[in-house]
This record gives sequence, C-alpha cells and structure tokens, in this order.
Amino acid sequence: MKWFAEGFGLLMPIVLSGAAGIWLVCSSFLEHVRGSKEPYGGRKLHVLVGVVLASAVILTFAVIWPKAGEQSLILFYLMDDIPVFFHVDALGRLFAAVTSVIWLAAGFYAFQYMKREGEEKRFFGFYLLLYGILLALDFAGNLVTLYFFYELMTLCATPLILHNGSKAAIMAALKYLFYSMCGAYCALFGIYVLYQYCDTLAFTAGGTLNQALAAGNSGLLQIAVFLMLIGFGAKAGMFPLHSWLTAAHPAAPSPASAVLSAIIVKGGVLAVIRTVYNIVGPDFIRGTWVQTAWMSLTLLTVFMGSMLAYREKGLKKRLAYSTISQVSYILFGLSLLVPTGMTGALLHVVFHAGVKCVLFLAAGIFIFRTGKTRVDEYAGIGKSMKVSLWCYTFASLALIGIPPFSGFISKWYLAQGALQSDTGIFRIAGPVVLLLSALLTAGYLLPVTIKGFLPGEGRMPEKGGDGDVGAEIQGCNSGAEAAAGADAAGKPDMMSAALLVLTILTVLIGLFPEPLVQYAAEIAAAVM
Amino acid sequence: MNAYMMVIAVLLPMAGGVLIPLLPFRKRNVMAFYIEMLVLITSALTFGLIMNPPSDAFVLFRFTGQLSISLKLDAAGSVFAVILAFLWPFATLYSFEYMKHEGRERVFFMFYTLTYGVTLGIAMAEDIVTMYFFYEMLTMVTLPLVLHTLTREAVLASRTYLYYSLGGAAFAFIGMIFILIYGSTSNFTPGGVLDMAALGEKANLLLFVYVLCFCGFSVKAAMCPFCAWLPKAGVAPTPVTALLHAVAVVKAGAFATMRITYFSFGADFLRGTWAQELVMALTVFTIVFGCSRALKETHFKRRLAWSTVSNLSYILFGITMMTPLGLIGAFSHMICHAVMKICSFFCAGAVIYKTGRTYIHELDGLGRKMPKVFVIFVVASLALMGVPGLCGFVSKWNLAKGAVASGNPLAYAGLGAILISALLTAIYMLTIVVRAFFPGKEFDYGTIADIKDPNWVMLLPLCVFVVVMFVIGLHPQFLTEALEQVVSAVFQG
Repeated sequence: MKWFAEGFGLLMPIVLSGAAGIWLVCSSFLEHVRGSKEPYGGRKLHVLVGVVLASAVILTFAVIWPKAGEQSLILFYLMDDIPVFFHVDALGRLFAAVTSVIWLAAGFYAFQYMKREGEEKRFFGFYLLLYGILLALDFAGNLVTLYFFYELMTLCATPLILHNGSKAAIMAALKYLFYSMCGAYCALFGIYVLYQYCDTLAFTAGGTLNQALAAGNSGLLQIAVFLMLIGFGAKAGMFPLHSWLTAAHPAAPSPASAVLSAIIVKGGVLAVIRTVYNIVGPDFIRGTWVQTAWMSLTLLTVFMGSMLAYREKGLKKRLAYSTISQVSYILFGLSLLVPTGMTGALLHVVFHAGVKCVLFLAAGIFIFRTGKTRVDEYAGIGKSMKVSLWCYTFASLALIGIPPFSGFISKWYLAQGALQSDTGIFRIAGPVVLLLSALLTAGYLLPVTIKGFLPGEGRMPEKGGDGDVGAEIQGCNSGAEAAAGADAAGKPDMMSAALLVLTILTVLIGLFPEPLVQYAAEIAAAVM
Repeated sequence: MNAYMMVIAVLLPMAGGVLIPLLPFRKRNVMAFYIEMLVLITSALTFGLIMNPPSDAFVLFRFTGQLSISLKLDAAGSVFAVILAFLWPFATLYSFEYMKHEGRERVFFMFYTLTYGVTLGIAMAEDIVTMYFFYEMLTMVTLPLVLHTLTREAVLASRTYLYYSLGGAAFAFIGMIFILIYGSTSNFTPGGVLDMAALGEKANLLLFVYVLCFCGFSVKAAMCPFCAWLPKAGVAPTPVTALLHAVAVVKAGAFATMRITYFSFGADFLRGTWAQELVMALTVFTIVFGCSRALKETHFKRRLAWSTVSNLSYILFGITMMTPLGLIGAFSHMICHAVMKICSFFCAGAVIYKTGRTYIHELDGLGRKMPKVFVIFVVASLALMGVPGLCGFVSKWNLAKGAVASGNPLAYAGLGAILISALLTAIYMLTIVVRAFFPGKEFDYGTIADIKDPNWVMLLPLCVFVVVMFVIGLHPQFLTEALEQVVSAVFQG
C-alpha cells in the first residue's frame, strides 16, 4: 500500500488507540457530569476495549515488522526547524514490541481485576490513550517529539495511579507527577542547550553534536547531559529522583502497577538511550566525570533498591523497590558505553518488562483473592493459587538470573560489558554489585514462594486443606468471594490465563534468546 | 492609514467611556451593546492601524520645545496593541455577565473602557514624555477599579497600589529627565538616543539612572521587590484582575521597560554592564520568588496573581538579555502569557460568580459540576506549565533559545530559574486540577449539587482563548516570523 509506505501507517495504531481512549475518558466523564445511572463497564466495554487493543497491537506489529522497512513521517512543524517527526528504527521496534505484548496481557488481566475497583470506563480510557502515547514515544524521531510524548505519558499515567480515589492514592499520584515533572524540566534544560550545539535534534546513530561548536563549551554541555540523565532517570527510578516509584506502585491498581513498572519506567530508559547514543554520542561522555557520576549513581541505585526491597514487608512495595534496582541494571549497562553493555541493557529491558509484569500481575491475584498485602501474610497461598504462585516463582527465578531463565543472559552480558569497558574500578565494582544485588533479589522474592508452598508446621491454617484456605479468605474479603471460589474450584479465569500466557512467553524468550541477542547486538553495534 | 486614526483609536474609548454614566440607558442590554460596539470599533481600528501603519507621527499637542504628546505606531508598539485589541472585546463580553453580581456597573464600565484608550496610548506613544503621560494616567484610571467593591480590604489594596505606582513613576521620571538632557531626541529610536560623545565620563551615572528607571517602570510589571501590590489588588472584580492585572497594566510596565531599554538608553550601551547584570539578577530572583509565593497561597485569585508576578519576570528577563533572540522570547511570552493567564483568571472568576468560593480548598469536586470551566482551566494550567503543543512551551522555548545563545552565565541561571518555576507552576496549578476532579472517595457530591457551568457569555471568551493557545502551540511559525520582523526593526538602529 502506497499510503502505508508513506509513513501514515505508523499513525494508525497510535490514532486508533488514542481516539478510543479519549472517547472512553470523555464518555465516562460525561456520565459523571450528567449523573446518569448507567453501569460503567460491563461486557460491552470489555469487548470494545479488547477489540481496539487487539487491533492496535496487530497494526503495531504490521508497522514494526522488519519487512515493512524504515518508515518516517513528518506530521507538522512544532518550531521553525523542529517537526513532530516519527521514525521507526530498530530500537523503536524493540520497545514497541515489548510495550504491545505487555499492554495486551495486562489489559486482558484488567478486565477481571478492574471489575472490583470500579470506574472501569475511565481506567480503560486512560489505558488505551496511554498505549497510543507510548507507541508515539517509541516511534519519536527527534528529541522534541520524544519530549512531547514523554510529558503526555506522565500526565496520562496519573489517573491510573490515583484510580481508587483514596487520600493515599491521590498523594501518591501527585508525588509521581511532581517527581516526573522535576525530571522532565531537568531534561528540558538539556534539550534547550543541545538545540544550540547539535546539528539536528533528529536521532542519528552516533550522535549529532557539532564538534566545532562544542569544542569550547564542553563544561556546559556535560552539565546539560548530566541533567538530562538525572531528569530522564527520574522516570527510570534512578537515584536521587526514585522515591515516587514506591509511593505510586502500591497505590495503583495491580494492572496499572504492572504496566507502570514494566513499561512506563522504560520510557525513561528509552529517553536516556536516545539522548546518549542518538544525540550526544557516546564518545562525548566516555571517560568524563559524567560517565563516572552516572555509573556511580546507577550502582548505588542497584544496591540501594535491592537492600530496601529486602527490608520491605508489603509485597507491591517490595516489587517497586525491586524495579528501582532492576531498571538501574539497565542504566548501568548503558553507562558503560560499550556495545556488550548496551546489548545486555536492551536484553534486560525486554526480560525485566516481562518478568516484572508477571510478578505484579501475580501479586495482584494474591491481593485480589486474599485481600492481604504483606509478604508474611501469604503463608499457605500455594494451596489455593497454585498457578499464580508457580508463575510468580518462574518469574522470580528469571529475575534473580538463575540459568536457563532470562535474567541470566542479560546479566551475563552486563557483566561482560563491565569487564570489557575501560572504566577503572567500575570494571570490578559493577559485576560485584550486580552479584550482590542478585543475591538480595533471591532473598526478597523467594520467601513468598517458600512460605506459599511450605508454610511450615505452626503456620498451617488450622483445619488444613484447600477449601478452608478459601473459606478463610472469603471471610476476610467478601468482594472476592466469587473469584476466590472460581480459583479454588480450579476454573480457568481471565487473570490467571493472562498471567500464564505472559509467563510462558517470558520463559520461552529466556530459553531461546538467540534472535533477540542478535537483534540487540546489532542495535548496539550501529550506535557505537 | 491616516495618522488621525491613531488619535481616534485612543480617544474613542476614553470619550465613549466617560459618556457611559451620563447616557440615559433604559435597559442594561442597550448599555452592554453600546459598550461592546465601542470596544469592537476601537479594536477594529487598531487592527487596521497595525495592518497599515501610518508613516508619520501625529502631535496631539505641544507643551513646549521637545515636550509634546505625540502618537506613532511602530512594530514594537503593534505587538502590545495586538494583545490589547484582541483581548479587550472578549474581556468586556465576560464582564457583562460577571458584573451582574458586583453592582455599580456604570462606573465600572466607564473606567474599564477608559483604560483601553489609555493603554493604547502607551502602545502608540512616540516619545518617552507621551508614554510617561499615559503611564501616570493608567494609574489614575485603574485605581477606581481596584477600589470598586469599597470594602476595607479594597481600600487598603488601592492605597498600596497607588503608593507603589506613584513611587515607581517618580523613579521613571528621573530616567525621563536624563534622557531629555543626554539624548539627542526624546523620541523612541531603535538603538537608543544617547549621545555617546556628550556622555563622556557620565556613563556610569547614566547606568545608575537606567537601573532606577527600569525599577520604576517595572513596579507596574511587579518585579520583586516591588511586587506586593499585585496580589493585594486581587480584591478587584475578576475582569479587572484578569485583563488589567494579568495583561494590560502589568504588561504596560513590561512594555515601558522594553521601550527605555531598546529605544532610549540603547541595548548596545547597556549590554555587558553592571546595570544589565543587576536588573537581570532581579528578574531571575523574581521568577522563582513569585512561584514560591504562589505555592504558599491558598486564595485562588491571589495564587494566580503570584503566578503573574513570576511570569512577568520571564518577560523582563527576556528584555534584559538585550539580544534579538532574547527580545523575541520576551515578546512571545508577552503574547502567550496574556492568553494563558486571562484564561485561568476567567475560570477563577466563573467559579466565584457561580459559587462564591474564593479559596482553593473550597474547590473540591467542582470539576464534575462545572465541567466546561474546569476542562478549560486544565488546558490553561498545562499551557502555563509549558507542556508541548500549547503556547507556553513555545514562549519558553524562545526565551531559552535566547538565553543559551546569549552565552551570558546569568542567563543560564535565568533559564534554570524558569525551569524551577515551571516545576512550581506544575505543582500549584495541578493541585487545583486534581482537587477539582478527584476530591477523594469520601467526598459528598450532594453538597455541591446545584452548581452549574456559567452561560455562553462567559464561556465564549474562554473557548476562544483555548483555541488560541492550541493554535500558537501547534503552529507557532507565524508568530515567530512576525516577531522576527519586529525585532529586526528594533535592532536596525
């Protein structure tokens, strides 16, 4: 199709999902304004959202299919010389593919989960809208376009966090919003400066810095780049702007925390990659204080995140700390500025997205069924929620990095990258911190599995047996009765199905990582 | 167009305004129609003048020698005139509905319309004497508007306003005298009028006088430490706070500082001196100070007023850069801020009009009851924060472009201040938005059941402003190109 080849094709999933999202948000808002008594949601809503989501994902894959070629599109000019410009390149393909798969799985999971949370129409409206914005972010072809959709992403994710409307959720959402804005404005300072010193703000492998102009101003440029790293790092949960994560994740409904942790934080990672590898160029910061400071911050975050996760008792908050730590693995890989390190980072983007989504979705099922949020309350849940706990366990093993699961491969490349790089003490310190953190990861993830399957003598529910756990659970949370009953009876439901499919995908991609590794290595080789 | 037209544009609203309390209107609608027509004709005339600027000046009358009141419309004046001519009809329309609950409408509309003519006079002033004349007059005609409610608070506020303005004008007067003595002419001339040969060793004195004069004029632009009057003046009816204290009066101050910087003292004379550093440091400080005070403020309109303090210093900051790109930034923020801030003030006014609520903690849940107003308020907030796609991003981008290109270390600090202020803006605007739309689970909508959106008279201006914000935000080339022409005219001298 000529039209498709001219680049308008890449707009289709964005527009479809975005328009459907806006329509749902507006219609939900209007229902409130008019005070109509119609029930929100219901089967019709699910069908609509499911169809839109599925077709948007199919359209996305049509766009990013390697045979479709590199498409670009200039939408309009935002400034005299800066267009809103989309360009589908290898990196954008990778991020778009991950986003689509996770979005689909978490979306189907949410059909069942969100019934209990209420306000489904608003939730799915923003959910679809956010998907469109994320695709636009992945396909953004220059820094200003990226910033544009980055801001929109920040704003549109806020209603997902404050969804349940409690005081705590609203405060968490505001914290998220203001941390993100703080980061965005740090980054904007960098964009303002880079605009003067770069030939173009369009993403180009190896960077577009004008060496002649930059020669006398490297001090300023280094500060600008560092601010951008801190700023975009805020979304990726890098110290010092990390603490919104642990407030926002527990407050949001589980499907929202899953995509927040798996995808939204990766928006920060994408922006960092674009800045460092496609605008400034890795050569500019290699060996400078910027690289040293960046590496120190990421390693600090890796260790600190794991440590705090280990001490944390609330399951979702623990997973949020884990995200802080794990995403900084990715940033550490990027900060090495060597191809192997970047390969490891890209692999970890994919693996962590899948794994963390599974973990949060599983945690969501635990909370949905038992109403309990603390890790030490989950003793014995393996009896009633076998499938979910097994999924959780496989994902945990992958995140810890036990071969043959996925985390092992990415961490292997990250460590290799550290050893190959010419970064002095970090060559050794990096892998050491990664190993320590892996140990802590095992320490904070596996207790749930162990207690869940083997609660121990004294901790066993008194009467024992499946039904009783279910009964006890039902007693403490009447809203979950039907669902808990279904699980106890072994009936398949939407949440477990989505969880299972995603787990299988995650495990498979870890067992057969060869094409993905090659793909990531090609991206890394192209920009170095 | 003929130069006479300028006089008509300035005098028509003044004369027509004075007639408002005298004419025997039987019905309120007739009066409204008369005022709206008056304002529309003036605006049409102004637009006509801007499209075909008369080539020569018009001397209204001459005191003696150099001292005359004369009008001439140049490119820089056109920018200010465009803002006024565009906003005034909409603000007047809004006032017809709003003033229903304030009372004493005839007096209000007399001074409101008078102000239009006076500010146009500032925009079209040919020389510093004329500008000073209209500038003083502006203080006098806007004073009754601040005083309007006649409460104790209003009396105190108007007194503060008077003292600040007169004090500022006194300092500006010193500058005017020095320009008359040391300048080759009192007319505004691109590049300045100072005669460098005659100046000799007095350069430092002149710089000192420039600082005095800048501070004097920027009292109206609410630069710190002269900003206290603006939030206090928020007791005035909303059309006054929105149009005068966010656009016309305060931007007249910014415009006057622009005039003396580029057209009297001259950017070349000032660039790189301690005087430039000093005034720029003051603006940079005000940018952060205004936002921090906005954050602390719990009164809806006063919060917006503090935000205005901060945003006006964006404009002054652009002016003090003394580079073409900086001036483009200043002009674009002058235009963009006018639209964004009048829009947010009108939203606040609509809330006050429909509910009587003035504090932010009283706004819980109103998003659902006044959906149109609050959706528009969201757009204005996002624009003020500088979200791409809306006009705030464009003006900040232009300011930043100027700051980075100027290479002045203080300008980088200013850029940092703008970004800090953007973050604070996000905090103080979005807390209102979140409160209005997500009041929390326990909130009982029954308490605000009978609150509704205002009628179309109030909504039409708001909708127009939203459209303008999007148009400038998504398609800023026409604006930037026009401003480039204006600024190249300023720097040709």
